[in-house]
Amino acid sequence: MLNERAFKAVGKPLRRKEDLRLLTGKGHFTDDFNLPGQVWAAMVRSPHPHARINGIDKTAALAMPGVLAVYTGADCIADGLKPIPHSPVPSTKYDVKLTGRGGTPVFIGAHDVLPPDKARHVGEAVAMVVAETRAQAYAAAEAVEVDYEPLPSVADSREALSADAPKLYDEMQDNVLVDAKFGDAENTEKAFARAAHVVSLQTHIGRVTGVPLEPRASLAFYDPADGRYTLYAGSGGAVRQKHEIAGVLDVEPETVRIIALDIGGNFGTRNRTFVEFPLVCYASKKLGKPVKFRAERSESFLTDYQGRDLFVDISLALDKDGKFLAVKTANLSNVGSRCVSLSPLSKGSGLITGSYNIPYATLHAQAVYTNTMPTQAYRSSGRPEVTFAIERLIDKAARELDFDRLDLRRRNLVTPAQMPYPNATGMTYDSGEYEANMDRLLALADWAGVEERRKEARSRGKILGVGFANYVESSIGSPKERADLIIHAKSVELVIGTQPAGQGHETSFAQVTADLLGLPFESVNVTLGDTDIVSAGGGTHSGRSMRHASTVIALASGDLISKGEKLAAHIFGVPVEEVKFEDGIFRLADRNVSLSWFDLAGRSNGPDIPVELRGDLKVRRDNEMHTPVFPNGACSCEIEIDIETGALDIVRYATVDDVGRCINPLIVHGQTHGGIAQGVGQAMWEECHIDPGSGIPTSGSLMDYGMPRFDNLPSFKTQIVEVLSPTNPFGVKAGGEGGTTPAPAVIMSAVEDGLKEFRPFELELPITSLKVWTIIQQGLQRQKEARA
Amino acid sequence: MTVVSMTVNGAPVSKDVPDETLLAFFLREHLGLTGTHIGCDTTQCGCCVVQLDGKSVKSCTVLAAHAEGANVTTIEGLAKDGLLSPMQQAFRDLHGLQCGYCTPGMVMAATNLVETYKGELTEAIVREEMEGNLCRCTGYHNIVKAILAVARGEVTPRDRVEG
Amino acid sequence: MVMQPFRLLRPTSLAEARTLREKNDEASFLSGGHTLLPTMKQGLARPPVVIDLTRIDGLRGIAASADAITIGATTLHAEVAASEAVQTKIPALAGLAGSIGDRHVRNRGTIGGSLANNDPAADYPAAALGLGATIVTDRRELAADDYFVSLFETALEPDEIITRIVFPIPDAAGYAKFRHPASRYSIAGVFISRKGKDVRVAVTGAGARGVFRATNFEQALAKDFRAEALEGLTVDPSALLEDLIATKEYRAHLVHVMARRAMTHLGSAQSYK
Repeated sequence: MLNERAFKAVGKPLRRKEDLRLLTGKGHFTDDFNLPGQVWAAMVRSPHPHARINGIDKTAALAMPGVLAVYTGADCIADGLKPIPHSPVPSTKYDVKLTGRGGTPVFIGAHDVLPPDKARHVGEAVAMVVAETRAQAYAAAEAVEVDYEPLPSVADSREALSADAPKLYDEMQDNVLVDAKFGDAENTEKAFARAAHVVSLQTHIGRVTGVPLEPRASLAFYDPADGRYTLYAGSGGAVRQKHEIAGVLDVEPETVRIIALDIGGNFGTRNRTFVEFPLVCYASKKLGKPVKFRAERSESFLTDYQGRDLFVDISLALDKDGKFLAVKTANLSNVGSRCVSLSPLSKGSGLITGSYNIPYATLHAQAVYTNTMPTQAYRSSGRPEVTFAIERLIDKAARELDFDRLDLRRRNLVTPAQMPYPNATGMTYDSGEYEANMDRLLALADWAGVEERRKEARSRGKILGVGFANYVESSIGSPKERADLIIHAKSVELVIGTQPAGQGHETSFAQVTADLLGLPFESVNVTLGDTDIVSAGGGTHSGRSMRHASTVIALASGDLISKGEKLAAHIFGVPVEEVKFEDGIFRLADRNVSLSWFDLAGRSNGPDIPVELRGDLKVRRDNEMHTPVFPNGACSCEIEIDIETGALDIVRYATVDDVGRCINPLIVHGQTHGGIAQGVGQAMWEECHIDPGSGIPTSGSLMDYGMPRFDNLPSFKTQIVEVLSPTNPFGVKAGGEGGTTPAPAVIMSAVEDGLKEFRPFELELPITSLKVWTIIQQGLQRQKEARA
Repeated sequence: MTVVSMTVNGAPVSKDVPDETLLAFFLREHLGLTGTHIGCDTTQCGCCVVQLDGKSVKSCTVLAAHAEGANVTTIEGLAKDGLLSPMQQAFRDLHGLQCGYCTPGMVMAATNLVETYKGELTEAIVREEMEGNLCRCTGYHNIVKAILAVARGEVTPRDRVEG
Repeated sequence: MVMQPFRLLRPTSLAEARTLREKNDEASFLSGGHTLLPTMKQGLARPPVVIDLTRIDGLRGIAASADAITIGATTLHAEVAASEAVQTKIPALAGLAGSIGDRHVRNRGTIGGSLANNDPAADYPAAALGLGATIVTDRRELAADDYFVSLFETALEPDEIITRIVFPIPDAAGYAKFRHPASRYSIAGVFISRKGKDVRVAVTGAGARGVFRATNFEQALAKDFRAEALEGLTVDPSALLEDLIATKEYRAHLVHVMARRAMTHLGSAQSYK
């Protein structure tokens, strides 16, 4: 369908249009906006993980300097605010369908913007103070007296499974909101029964938080003249947020305008509405002033939607030659105190067999409520967890059964001949060259030189651990997207409903549009993020953007070219079949007569144009696509372990990623780098730790929460592979999340390899120097005793 | 309230501000220079880095009053004669930014590093010296490349910006 | 919490500073601001008045004599790190100053601020105790051994102002620290010096009561000033801090390793993570 020879921009590492404003301090992040007369909000936050709210006394706070109002959950309900309509159960055609016990619907507890009944996690906002200055608002928030009745609480998801656990929702019999079984139980059991070997693993992929460097912020203005709310707030999809916030305020969606221009990182944390977004709208109407909120970083640590937190109990059945026969897994997801999105559990459920041809599988998927911050999608939602489980288990099988870990993987990979490959939980992998990727990776990583590098590290008192992991991940995402293409006097505007926070859509979508319309890349401008202009769209998550955008842009371009041909035919005075569109020019087949897009745009409103063709030269096109795609690849890393201190130093990291068609390699490599960093961060330093006794989170700032930094990461070797997906015109898979997906697995693989002489040991993420040192000490002690 | 006067990006400014005003907020809220960003509350992230009398500082932890009489350069003041500075140019050429939020502080820190470091900058030294700046998007890989390219004199400014 | 309003006073002499403090007994002193201001931003300190010491002449600068380096209280970490006098006479001290925080922090943070605060994981307390420094204030001189009391607690009176710190020049000194992966403060930092027969081993980042001297290490090194002399020696784990990143036992082990590495890299400051 596409003429690749016409690609002048697509596939090129073009520099980004966004950069000029971002490099010169002219970005438009939410906190950069100010409105005259604006006042400030601050939240009163629960110090308890679980507590009944018996009353809220506003008196002292209202008496403090500058304070204009204090709002509680009772006020919100009295004024008709509704809970946030998160729609947390993934429901596209191919999402794994999660249910409650016995196929019952998942119980979604109401997410009131300010709860009237109970606080269900530490940091939950129970009241909002509005004052003239931000300092006054925060000071007054401390003076609001909340009569809490602390209740027993539960933070650990395994504890929350129990019928005796403290219950978050009185409407439920316990905390288990998802309990569903998938797969072929009968054949899986048979496979396990006849297997020569069975290996098992229980592991936890812990809780992390996104730490986008821009803290949450929102600025709302209610205009009584037209009854509309304008809200400046960064998110994962302005259109979705408009509908959700309108739902909370109980108004028509068109009453709400969201402006989300530059966004300082998302990674999933911003994909769902935060309580303060509708609250500042509400306060603005009540007070007749613009109301602004900006979170402190400590509030972000406490109350950004968090990620991961999955317990996995997985077993693999193998025959005597190491062929994988079946896999069984029980995955337990901690959704926190509100069900905001079940995407991680659902996405992961479809990928438990990983890159391997495993004919039978069963999955027991469960999700529980706990008194913790709600979790939702975070970079590669669900996939790093299941990749970690299967890859770690395969390494274990190789060790215990004395197979080479690369050979064991090779002989079980899904082959290109099997594509499209329906896996054992119902996902159909569209395309991929998994073994070829392994070979490419081994060459890129100079795997052949590993033993030499091990010796050299030893000579410096270091152990070199070498890790390997394959991955396949899925990109589904909201199925609908809309594109408007508008030809202006000298430029073309694309209006689209994705929501980048660094992925470069203004550039890469311009590349696609430019080549489809035969126009220079420089002439295309992309409009995003203002819902008064962007009328529909699915936002950005799950690697959906380029696939959906390029497809709907291709369809819209086709419509626009068709319109252009009709216009040109009229202007030339010929039947439309005689008009030929090529390289951005509409020409007559035999004569030296042509019109450019801008010529047409200049004439399309003329009185000489028939009414049915007259008007601005533009089209609007909607598209809906459900078929998922499966980016995939392989990676390896080398980690030097300081035997004396247990300190880890990642010295090499290489990755091969099949992203389908790569629109802009500069951007895609950058996505891989950032994705790697986030996955490595989870493996090594990041943890939203909760004190088990009190249920109180302790990772409250960058002082406690370790981050990937310049000095703890190496430079990366990244290679892009383009196996075009047959599911969309450009053959796009996705490039945003493949860096993260295998990263926790490959780090663990390297450390387990490096520490093999100190086996047996237990090790869970994050891999701290303390844990490594403890393993080394215990191992050395056992060696000493063995010699004695 | 104190009247605080300094030179910002070459222009003299003078404002009567509350004593507790931090330099980052002086720039953002009193001067309308919103290029300098706030990313954390523990003086760790580096989004707020500006140059104060030729030294890189975290403006979120400097009182505006402490910049009295000083020469302050922010991200808005780096471009010269309508052209990006070499560091800005390198970040663009080598894709050293994604969301752009850490970028102002990052570029200011990198610029100051190259200007003031005594000795040859290697990858290892760049990574060590830049530990005061966090980025969540890029994985640092391209930023390191950009800094080394500028340090080696390999970057020629050529992109134009509005005044 | 966010920074609450306060009144800023900017004396230009020590006498003026003392008078202002007398009149405002709830005032805090401000130097580089990289201890006080973060604390105020988090609402942990809310002084209504702040007395800025950075405009007082004579509090900043580095002077070297035959046997001591004197550093003014408002001297920046970057200045100590870059000082030729410190680099030649006490290179471990220059290296330590150059390893504090990051380069932006070093352009503002001061030695007086660090010592007055006595964060149990800060670097300067190890240098002061490890070199047997004298902390000179506006009213007396305090030996380092008497100066450090406990976590965030020193012998200073509430209104007392550090003016300069005198570091005797040792025959040899070294510093090695292991850093917390998030805060980048030390979880074990050891400063070792020898002057004649006297050996000092000061440990920061690890002690439950702040910086302390590892006297058993000192005794062993006084007999034999080599890393090997520390073989089999450990500090008492029960007196150490414990958190998620490091148990008491791990800290004790790191103290031992850092002490050995300080000995094998004398004349420098080594930083591990």
